[in-house]
Amino acid sequence: MDEQLLFETVRRHIVAVVPEIDPAEVTPEVSMADLGCNSIDRAEVVTLVLEDLGIDVPVPEFHGLPHIGALVELLRAHRP
Amino acid sequence: MKPAVITGMAVRTALATDLAGFTEALRAGRSGITRLPSAQAGQSAVAARLTIPDLPAELDALPGLVPGRHARAVRTAARAPMGVRTALLTALAAWQQAGLDTDGPPPERIGLVVAGHNLTAGYAESLYPRLRRGRSHVPARAALHLLDSDHLGVLSEVLGITGEGCTVGGASASGNVGIITAARLLALDAVDACLVVGACAELSELERQALFNLGAMADGRAREDPAEVCRPFDAERTGFVLGQGCGALVLESTESVRRRGARPLARLAGYGIGLDGNSQADPDRHGESAVMTAALRTAGLEPEQVGYVNAHGTASELGDRTEAEALRAVFGERPDGPWINATKALTGHTLHAAGVIEAVATVLQMRAGFVHPNVNLYRPVDAGLRFAGRSAQHAAIRYALSNGFGFGGIETSILLAGC
Repeated sequence: MDEQLLFETVRRHIVAVVPEIDPAEVTPEVSMADLGCNSIDRAEVVTLVLEDLGIDVPVPEFHGLPHIGALVELLRAHRP
Repeated sequence: MKPAVITGMAVRTALATDLAGFTEALRAGRSGITRLPSAQAGQSAVAARLTIPDLPAELDALPGLVPGRHARAVRTAARAPMGVRTALLTALAAWQQAGLDTDGPPPERIGLVVAGHNLTAGYAESLYPRLRRGRSHVPARAALHLLDSDHLGVLSEVLGITGEGCTVGGASASGNVGIITAARLLALDAVDACLVVGACAELSELERQALFNLGAMADGRAREDPAEVCRPFDAERTGFVLGQGCGALVLESTESVRRRGARPLARLAGYGIGLDGNSQADPDRHGESAVMTAALRTAGLEPEQVGYVNAHGTASELGDRTEAEALRAVFGERPDGPWINATKALTGHTLHAAGVIEAVATVLQMRAGFVHPNVNLYRPVDAGLRFAGRSAQHAAIRYALSNGFGFGGIETSILLAGC
């Protein structure tokens, strides 16, 4: 449940940052780069998600994740 | 000088966001200045505020967007600070009026000059609470949005401009500095057309307070009607009223206009620009008259040929008196001297954008054959000057000056000619 909530938060911010992305294409298996997010978009999504969830973790920890599922996993690990 | 032709214009001010509405507001002498209900003692109680644009909705309502531009605009600017969104919508309107999509010069021969500086302090201020809550909560894209040059990136991407581009600054003279910069790019043959955008600064509370504490800004509480607060050249003036706004012009070489048969709206026929050698906010009449004289000289005109002056006229006590002295030095005391009015009484002082907005106001009045009223001018600072009255007057204007003066002794005047 928590994982689903975290995933939906990520999806919401991805679509907000890159409006042309179809929300249905955002799945745990794809990476943000695959969806068409450039490096600035990806950093933007991370900062927006962290703020939304009230987690304060240095942004570089989120660099180089293979797919959205890994991002959700890392968020879950940092969740207070 | 080599004249530059104006082929596109647009404004967004508290009065109107389209040229027809702006023209009628000017003609009627309608003020965009309203009371600020949340203002506290020790702050200005009035301002002319712009409606924050809903970019996707406004793009939907804009006819004739080339395919792909809507999506590109939303992608690059929908989440940008208010000033960039405003600049984009204003620039698009001027761009479309000029017809640059149809038969304009190639992208690498179109330039972009963004007039204004320190445009993002209000945006920065809005981010501080996020920084305080968590360092990682500062949105990454703020690194781009905090730069004035974000305007250049966003506008050039959406419009497909790849020629020369820069931001230029000159405090409240920025708009004219931008227009002059564009004219020089054209004169150097660096570009065939140049978009000039007088940007809307998103002021921080800090900046507004400093302007108020300096004594430059009107308090506004002494008058019941906020429209009566801003009184350029009137004996009872008490300072400027802040206005939000943005203006855009497309300047084009005569060759480019001829080649594509574009409709000329007016010509930039001359300009003067200089410094007073003075870091203060106090103006200098010699510097002001010098740039007006330079504008006449570069256009090859005599003072008698100028039919209208759009004054800098902010309603500052010393500023207006000094500009009146400079006007008298240039034009003398003649019953048939140029009409003089001050658009800031209606739009508020739109700071960096003012020069571009007032250039548009000047061209609109020239084309429609009137001068807008000085709605709050009852006792002029100088009875020998020919100030427009309190209702619009018919006027056939062939040549007009538009002044822009900035803190730090930055003096500019541009000369506009009808087509």
